[in-house]
Amino acid sequence: MTDTARESRVLDAVVTLVDSLLDDFDVVDLLTELTERCAGLLDVAAAGLLLADPFEKLHLLAATSEKARDLELFQLQADEGPCVECYTSGRPVSVADLAAAASRWPRFVPSAVEAGFASVHAVPMRAAGSVLGALGLFGTHSGELNDADLLVGQSLAHIACVAILQEHAPIASAVVPRLRTALVARLVVEQAKGFVRERLDVSVEDAFALLRRYARSHDDHLTDVSRRLITEPDCRPAILAAMATMKAAPPA
Amino acid sequence: MTIHDQLLAAVGGERRLEAADRLCRACVTLLEVDAAAISLVFDGANAATLGSSGSPARIYDELQFTLGEGPCLDSVALRAPVLVLDLADPYDTRWPAYGPAMLAHEIRGVYATPVLVAGEYVGALDLFCAEPGPLRTEQLAGAVAAAELAAIPVLDLMNADLQAAVSDPSSNAWAELNTLSRVEVSQATGMVMAQLGIDAAEALVRLRAHAYSTDRSAIDVARDILDRRLRLEDD
Repeated sequence: MTDTARESRVLDAVVTLVDSLLDDFDVVDLLTELTERCAGLLDVAAAGLLLADPFEKLHLLAATSEKARDLELFQLQADEGPCVECYTSGRPVSVADLAAAASRWPRFVPSAVEAGFASVHAVPMRAAGSVLGALGLFGTHSGELNDADLLVGQSLAHIACVAILQEHAPIASAVVPRLRTALVARLVVEQAKGFVRERLDVSVEDAFALLRRYARSHDDHLTDVSRRLITEPDCRPAILAAMATMKAAPPA
Repeated sequence: MTIHDQLLAAVGGERRLEAADRLCRACVTLLEVDAAAISLVFDGANAATLGSSGSPARIYDELQFTLGEGPCLDSVALRAPVLVLDLADPYDTRWPAYGPAMLAHEIRGVYATPVLVAGEYVGALDLFCAEPGPLRTEQLAGAVAAAELAAIPVLDLMNADLQAAVSDPSSNAWAELNTLSRVEVSQATGMVMAQLGIDAAEALVRLRAHAYSTDRSAIDVARDILDRRLRLEDD
């Protein structure tokens, strides 16, 4: 990619994401899009956002992939790996050659290598003087992130922080309840995926795609659709019927 | 030691209602408040006190259900923390009955943090202070940590079949909290809801009970449900 073409794509991503921030947005949906943009811009195969809970334990908030194996890998990062190190230190962690780091992370490295990844990088999400979590980037070929890549990653991680903290000024006391709200949003979206998987007999990935398409086409929030599906049985028939129609007619 | 670890240490190996009481007493000591209670809300109104730091806290908690208004009910309805810095503030008229009742008990600051099970807002941890004013950052972080931990006594309460597992000293249900928030467990919870026509909290309780009774982790059980290798039976 030429520098100019890439610059335009970075700007396009930033403008689109910031536009969403200025509008009424859904945190899980926006952050999923952010990880997708990230993967595209940084030439990595997968990206995942991990957010710390009140116990300083990392949880997966959004990811480019819904494949079980990749999810496992993202979640494994909650225990050990570049994201934990990045979160603990507050600094970017870049592992150009994953295979050579096997002794550093005895559980994470074999899983990542087996999943086909060769390099991993993590960028901290910072706000209000503390680290909120980390953005993990997985590449299928080895190599460092250069300074420009790092800057792109940092910028997108900043946008993620703003999205999570929403309109609240990032004073420390507002951060903890916000983080909790974002994590609960993700949890309800996961339940909705399972619900749709069962009812429409689709994979978890397809269930997520249907939920996102439904939310977009109805100008609704992914989290709100998920919550209605989970907590309001009366709303289910209409939502499921619309999704069944979408399932029959895949997006162009 | 983090506030989470200090709270856990204060709870010790206790479970169920005794754990809820100890959690409340630990809030009073560690967060420097005057009283604490954990209350559960069902269908927006019917409620029960799950735990309290002592009889004053129990009275403060029960008052809101007698009067039909208060921090716990608002916190669940709004799905957010409710922080009232001074009940004596003449411009704060949110609780025309509960406010004066609490002032009569010489309580001015009231802070409620929601308690969640399977993403459902099932109750709140209420902190009460004689002195008005905002909670400090550490107090707020402690309140959130205590509200997270309160999910375990709630889950224990929701399934009487877990008595045996709960009395097993080697089972560490507190460590379970992290696994219960895993992606697979939430997805499987959604599938069980759809299969059995039950709500999210009950589906999670069923999943957890199955894990206990088969001596497996909630994550393993969740994976089997997701891959359709396991279907929890209707009962």
